[in-house]
Amino acid sequence: MDELINKLKKEVITQLNLEDISEDDINPDSPLFGEGLGLDSIDALELIVLLEKNYGIKIEDPKDGKKIFHSIRTMAEYITEHQKKA
Amino acid sequence: MEYINGIGIISPQNTLPGQGFLEAVVEQTADFLKSVEPVYKSYIDPIASRRMSRLIKMGITSAKICLRDAGIDAPDAIITGTGLGSVEDTEKILGELTIEEKFLNPSPFIQSTYNTISSQIAISLKCHEYNSTFVHRCFSLESCLTDAVLQIREGSAANVLAGGIDEMTLNHLTIIRRLGMWKREAIRNLDLWTSETPGALAGEGSAYFVISSEKNEKTYARLAAVETLYKPSSTMQTASFVKQFLADNGLMPAEVDLVLMGSNGYSEHDRVCNEVIMQSVPAAARVLYKHLCGEYHTVSGFALYLAANIISRQMIPSCMPLLQRKPEKLENILIHNHFRNTDHAFILVRV
Repeated sequence: MDELINKLKKEVITQLNLEDISEDDINPDSPLFGEGLGLDSIDALELIVLLEKNYGIKIEDPKDGKKIFHSIRTMAEYITEHQKKA
Repeated sequence: MEYINGIGIISPQNTLPGQGFLEAVVEQTADFLKSVEPVYKSYIDPIASRRMSRLIKMGITSAKICLRDAGIDAPDAIITGTGLGSVEDTEKILGELTIEEKFLNPSPFIQSTYNTISSQIAISLKCHEYNSTFVHRCFSLESCLTDAVLQIREGSAANVLAGGIDEMTLNHLTIIRRLGMWKREAIRNLDLWTSETPGALAGEGSAYFVISSEKNEKTYARLAAVETLYKPSSTMQTASFVKQFLADNGLMPAEVDLVLMGSNGYSEHDRVCNEVIMQSVPAAARVLYKHLCGEYHTVSGFALYLAANIISRQMIPSCMPLLQRKPEKLENILIHNHFRNTDHAFILVRV
């Protein structure tokens, strides 16, 4: 899980072009939206693209997004769970 | 009357705040003249800027520099002229489409529209006033300035933020080169006037102005008039148009002190430019400037920055070669710009 969390941190930094933010600055349990990293709705779209492109995961129900993208850890858990199912 | 009360410009020269007025010329040997860009973090929140293309950062930053220069927090209107808009974002989205359409990154798509620049400036300034963008090829900035003047004359605005912006990318340059518009080889900008190869030297830049209804201690010069002439039938027709343009503004040709020439290093077109000015304002001193900024759709913005500063400082920078005698005074400056002898634009700047 830790390995996936670190990989996800790198991918999020690259995909969202988070200049001046390093992997160490991201707490895996901090919220990605609002407080924490302060991401917005366009970032949410970019994260959906990231999951589909890098992990082959398509989010069918948009309502799930809020839970999946709460933090880096929830994203990692969702990916792991999805990969087990596959 | 309308006055230029603030200027913010990012160009291939050192034109940022605190860098003086073209004291040291920037030499570039390149396919196109690239802007000398500031550290954007000083002007735009990094969280907001991470998604912005270079063009949008240039636009917002020059707009903010301009407002600071004018001592204004928020304008009554924001108007932008651009010939090409966000080329880099458009290339990104088209590039992604050709690879795999289903994994499209939304940011370049959202920002690839022409009106993104004016909108992003408004968002950044939290300005909810009139916001417009003109995409009229080489008349884009002229249309923008005309709208600014109309906003003021109609009483809709007292201070208008108006500017022109265009970026160049290597990809776009390569495509347009095939049409013979740009020089096919990299050249040193200071050698532009001795170059005998066809095509112009491409450039880019962003220039914003606060156009105001009132003169104040910040005023550079008066924006007296803006006119355009599309596809003239002859050089004589263009020259007559210039004489009428001056007459409409109460000026005799002999009263024009200086002409900023629209020449761009493409000798076939520069000949037309020379003939027009020699037939219409033969006694005026003339200076060249496109070796400093290159050619682009809204290059009149760089010329307007020059004219406003020349009048305000009463001096012509040494990097602009005079084609005739030194003018006795610097009160009436005519800017001529033209694109392949089809789009002629004239801006009159007065003390």
